[in-house]
Amino acid sequence: MKTFEENWTAWLDDQLSGRELSEFEAALPDKAAAQAEKAEAKKLGGLLKRELSARPLKNEEFFSHQLRERIVQESGEHPRERARRSPTSSWWTIPRLLWAGTASLAVFLICTVFVMHQERPPEESQYLTQILNARVDPVVSPNGTVSIFEVKQDRVTVLWTEGLQTLPADYAAK
Amino acid sequence: MHRSPAVVIFVLLLTTTVAPASQAAEKVWSGLVIAENVTEPQPIPSELTRIEGLLKKFFGYNQFKVIGQSQKTLKTGQEDWLATSKFFGLHVDARGETEGGYVLNLKLYKEKELLLETEAKLSKRSPLVIKGPQVGGGQLLLVLVVQ
Repeated sequence: MKTFEENWTAWLDDQLSGRELSEFEAALPDKAAAQAEKAEAKKLGGLLKRELSARPLKNEEFFSHQLRERIVQESGEHPRERARRSPTSSWWTIPRLLWAGTASLAVFLICTVFVMHQERPPEESQYLTQILNARVDPVVSPNGTVSIFEVKQDRVTVLWTEGLQTLPADYAAK
Repeated sequence: MHRSPAVVIFVLLLTTTVAPASQAAEKVWSGLVIAENVTEPQPIPSELTRIEGLLKKFFGYNQFKVIGQSQKTLKTGQEDWLATSKFFGLHVDARGETEGGYVLNLKLYKEKELLLETEAKLSKRSPLVIKGPQVGGGQLLLVLVVQ
């Protein structure tokens, strides 16, 4: 069962015929007004068809040349490259950023290790404690002297004093 | 799932790069030690076990007894502290951290009398032993160790 609107649209487009047409036209309250409306609609349809139809291109040769070039370009490209250029795929995706960061860090570490290996190893004396200066009080110990020994085998530095005053055993108290 | 290896490698590399930057504070043990020759020597204090062989060989004593000590945690490398016994005092003044150690100014006092003053770059791997005055039949030693 068609609605009135469906029948109306079909009537405007001359799609109704026979019994359907006669029944619909009989149902119209004002047939003259409806006919006028139908004529207006046909006029409007014709106008739209005319105005919206594709206009002929004026620079046909120019466009066809451009089109040919584009076709040649695209046919020369690898399908994968074409997919890469598609708007859905961007190079700077999160996994790629992660890989780029990882690769950069790895390169940095390799360079650091390389530079560190290039540097001369620290001398033995840097591992040993160094005496920069030493003095005994000349008033308390006028004959006092100091000597420095670096025992590399045990990695110990000894500051050896001589001539300090000898003290009684009581001084060993805690 | 191809993202997970990248994350793991990234975190590992980041950890290895950043981790060495964080270093723990270090302790310096400073002790006043009386070295003596006795018939029944006591076991050497734990702080000196690392250099026991050297002490015995170098100074010729068989017993090493701690009569005063101090253990200081260095955070800035600018700290100062005192290790004392009844009659001796060792004042240690740290004057900054250098590559692999600390610059220390050391003063040995007998009561209020300054006996010895020295400035040393104490390495983290190398203890410092100072021979002090003779005390009775033994010897006063000053020992500094980064622990």
